[in-house]
Amino acid sequence: MNTMKLLNKLLAGSIAVMLLISANKGFSQGAEKASLSITLSYFEVNNQLPHISAMVKTKVDGRFRPAAGIPLKLYLNKDSSGTVIGNIITDENGQGFAFIPPSLKNEWKTSKTHTFLATFDGNKKFEAAKADLTVAKAKIEINTSDKTITAKVFQLKDTSWVPVKGVDVKFGVKRLGADLPVNETPTFTTDSTGQASADFKRDSIPGDSKGNIVLVAKVEDNDQFGNIAVEKTVPWGAKFIPVSNFNERTLFATRDKAPIWLIIVSGGIIIAVWLTLILLVQNIFRIKKLGQETE
Amino acid sequence: MENSIKGEQIIQDLLPRKFKTSGRIWVGILVAICLVGAYAYYRQLRYGLVVTNMRDYVSWGIYISNFVFFVAISLVGSLITAVFRLAGVKWGAPLTRIAEMIAVGAIIFASVIIIVDMGSPERFYNLFLYGRIQSPIIWDVIVITTYFFISLLLLYYPLLPDIKILLRFKEKSGPGLSKFYSFLGSFWKGSHKQYLLSKKAINALCVAIIPVAFTIHTVTSWLFATTYRPGWDSTNFGAYFIAGAFLVGAGSVVVAMYIFRTWYHLEKYITPDHFDKMGRVLVLLCLLYLYFNVNEFLTPFFKMKESEAGYLNDLFSGSFALTFWFAILTGIILPIIVLLFKSGRKPLPMFIVGIMVVVGAWFKRYLIVTPTLLHPFMPMHDVPQMYKHYFPSWEEWAISMASLAGTMLIITILCRIFPIIPIQETLDEHHETVK
Repeated sequence: MNTMKLLNKLLAGSIAVMLLISANKGFSQGAEKASLSITLSYFEVNNQLPHISAMVKTKVDGRFRPAAGIPLKLYLNKDSSGTVIGNIITDENGQGFAFIPPSLKNEWKTSKTHTFLATFDGNKKFEAAKADLTVAKAKIEINTSDKTITAKVFQLKDTSWVPVKGVDVKFGVKRLGADLPVNETPTFTTDSTGQASADFKRDSIPGDSKGNIVLVAKVEDNDQFGNIAVEKTVPWGAKFIPVSNFNERTLFATRDKAPIWLIIVSGGIIIAVWLTLILLVQNIFRIKKLGQETE
Repeated sequence: MENSIKGEQIIQDLLPRKFKTSGRIWVGILVAICLVGAYAYYRQLRYGLVVTNMRDYVSWGIYISNFVFFVAISLVGSLITAVFRLAGVKWGAPLTRIAEMIAVGAIIFASVIIIVDMGSPERFYNLFLYGRIQSPIIWDVIVITTYFFISLLLLYYPLLPDIKILLRFKEKSGPGLSKFYSFLGSFWKGSHKQYLLSKKAINALCVAIIPVAFTIHTVTSWLFATTYRPGWDSTNFGAYFIAGAFLVGAGSVVVAMYIFRTWYHLEKYITPDHFDKMGRVLVLLCLLYLYFNVNEFLTPFFKMKESEAGYLNDLFSGSFALTFWFAILTGIILPIIVLLFKSGRKPLPMFIVGIMVVVGAWFKRYLIVTPTLLHPFMPMHDVPQMYKHYFPSWEEWAISMASLAGTMLIITILCRIFPIIPIQETLDEHHETVK
């Protein structure tokens, strides 16, 4: 009887310990959920279709790292759940973007400012998160004359575009990896007429076959307007004439296109050596003739 | 009178001899190995190169290693015959024919193994039809053909006076060989004019063979060095290959010297002094080759570029480490240690050292070719597991061994037909000594 009591106590104790462990595990799982930081950016190039870019990060070992595979829902207006821009999933760099679809054209036109919203519903690893970004509609106009570039920044107020003072503008030339500044000054600030000018000091920069290069005037990470840019093609670059040695005499051409120097050098060596050898073979016949004469 | 008897004795000692039972067994073994190789080659022709274990990455395997080995060994003809002769090294005279026979045998099989590596032999024809003068492969074809021809001439010219002697012993040679000797040199009467023409030709050949010999192995090294690969991308390769070639060539001569000396009882003609002097040459060549090896491996090891690290680690401490250190120790370090002592330069130790050098050199050639191909700059992706490793198939082994046996068979046949030691030169030397 006592043995049975002892067994029952042991069983009850074991179950209690197991429950405690599993409960603790469940608790710890909940505690392991990490929080996400979402950053939104607005981009518009050449007054065309704007897009929203999201960057999602999470803290790992005390440092922010990109969070990949996070599904986000983007809205045109923070307060209107009916204006969905689209769903995106972040890539390995924690980034994702979406263009504002044509279906939201009317909503886009109704306001001079928009507050974009990105939401994440949460999953097993991360807690739910959201972020918003308010952007006022703006545009840049670019003009060029005598190797001087002038950009004018306008903001939409009521129904008209008005110049904006004090906006930092960058001028550059589009290259393969990034934009190259047109001179040593990194940024220019617009005056009361919304204008900023820069002198083009990249005279010898290679352009296309006609010498065309693409100039860009841009406002970057502006608190009010986000990222806006405008481009213009000008014939200010050096003409790029591609050099092709295809079908010319090179070391890697076909056999009939061997370099002349190689043919001369190798031919000379081969002829010199084999002429000597032929003479040495002929020498055998001379020796043979001498032997026959002796007989 | 006594001088003439001594002269006759020299002739009798140095005349080619018929094979005894042991000689026939030796030839039988070599022929058997060649036949197995021929069967393996038939299989390669029948089923294609798929019978080998060469695949997309290791496309140059044991065949090309063997090719480099043969080209290297053939350089001995230029070292012993030409360099020694032009430098006035008279003690090397009894070794010249051995060296030339090895050179001819090796260069023949260097050409054969290249054709084997092509898969279908008719592809060789394409080299002439579509070959580009810009390609080191074509340079190699040209220079090997040239070197083979010069080696043949260098074997033939000094034979002429000996053929006259051989023709005096028709009953000993037999009718077949006598006819052959007549065809080769019955016109040689030993007149002063003939002698002068022959001497001039030999001197011209000695001068010509040195640059051609340097070219043949430099061009062989360029087959690798002009290909951008870890371990091959080296400006040191030409000199490194030449140094290694002279070493293995000299090692092979030492081995042949010992075998011929023992087999044909040529102790009076190939003396311990010859071994001692060849030992000194060998140790010099070992040190030279060691120097180039240090150059070849120490600087990349010091830099340990990421793109070459896999290859270098594989050699030094990875899957090729055993072979690598075996080749370095056996082929270079141990011979240096042994040969620095006078007792190490006696015939038997020299024979053993010669074998070590030749075996070490064969593995060294394998290491030059294969590990590099297993470590391309671009990582191997999405390939079958077997592409990532290489070990020759039995067909490759059989063909390679047959090529080695074939080289030895050519040398054996040549020493059956012609005197191993130049008879006339030995007689002339004897007469000079008597005077």
